[in-house]
Amino acid sequence: MAIDVSKIIHAVMEGSKLRESKGIIPLFGVYLSLFSVNYYNRLSFDFEAKMGKAREAEAQALLIEAAQECGYATFQGIRNSWEWDQVVAPMIENKEDQILGFVAVAVAFGWGDLEVEQLVPKEKLVIRASDSYEARGYLEQHGLAQSEKCYMLRGVTGAFMDLIYGDDYPEGLYAFSAAETCCRAKGDTCCEFIARKSPYRPNA
Amino acid sequence: MTIFDWRKELNREGHKVAISGQAIAMHCHHYNINLQKTLEDTLGEKGVELLYRSAEETNYHSLQHLFDHYNKIRTLKSKLEMASMLYQNCGLGIIHFQKVRPNKAYIVSPSSHHVTGWLAKHGRRDTAGCHFTRGWIAGALEAIYERPLGFYVVDETRCKMQRDDQCVFHVEER
Repeated sequence: MAIDVSKIIHAVMEGSKLRESKGIIPLFGVYLSLFSVNYYNRLSFDFEAKMGKAREAEAQALLIEAAQECGYATFQGIRNSWEWDQVVAPMIENKEDQILGFVAVAVAFGWGDLEVEQLVPKEKLVIRASDSYEARGYLEQHGLAQSEKCYMLRGVTGAFMDLIYGDDYPEGLYAFSAAETCCRAKGDTCCEFIARKSPYRPNA
Repeated sequence: MTIFDWRKELNREGHKVAISGQAIAMHCHHYNINLQKTLEDTLGEKGVELLYRSAEETNYHSLQHLFDHYNKIRTLKSKLEMASMLYQNCGLGIIHFQKVRPNKAYIVSPSSHHVTGWLAKHGRRDTAGCHFTRGWIAGALEAIYERPLGFYVVDETRCKMQRDDQCVFHVEER
């Protein structure tokens, strides 16, 4: 059975309208919040700016690591959730289908029009987006960028591979790392993320 | 309040999710707390300021947009009600505007996404940590009273991240 993206999106949209008495949205095993993409973009891009040119690479690495660690914990929670069992698990026939399920959830979360372009088991994952909120936000707020700007999606792409082909949770974090090979913020036609086995592991 | 139908306001157009036409993203506590910790650990007070300002500015513009759109919501009471409803429906928690005047306010939050997320990931901390909510409150009151950004300063005097029983916020003119 193929992964039915629209069914997953529907489940997330309906679930995100339910909250418990404390104003918290517990959905797919995590606590969800809904907030303007402008907030996240301002945090990332102003953080980068405040770190200055000399610490630009460090700022980018921190943002990517924050997203990869988040993606790793988040999607571990998601794939162990009741909602995953009910909605997504029946569509999954093999390990690789899990990544398609993860991507469908990411689309449902409003992160962009992500599509899996290529998946080589245990080796490589290529995800493309023609409209990520990070690239769109950078273009709107700052104009054309000199470098790639989708730090969150870059970290999350690595996390997807960590969860499927890394060591058992929680030991598999940073087994893979992703590069953003083109980005709409730079004027490219799409954003492309390629995850491969990490040459090094930040926390090892 | 029947004017503002929350369930109709949250919708999507293709891959984009929006509240009343404004693009939003769903993120979980792992990401929100990771961002906060990264900014605090790396930039210290400047990182705290960035969290506060970003929430303030974003919420200010979001509420301005909503008040323009729902122009029947005019009174202070109805605007505060809408703001706290928005906070709750965005999964950010519960917020009670207890005493609100044009030059000062007293606000209490018995639960929040950031508190729940911080305690789940890092446990108790020694300092108040609801920088997002402080900024959110500042932006809300500036939009409600039609003041410029930065008009109010919001301090958190008690915080559940420090294991106080609730988060307490005091607002004054800057």
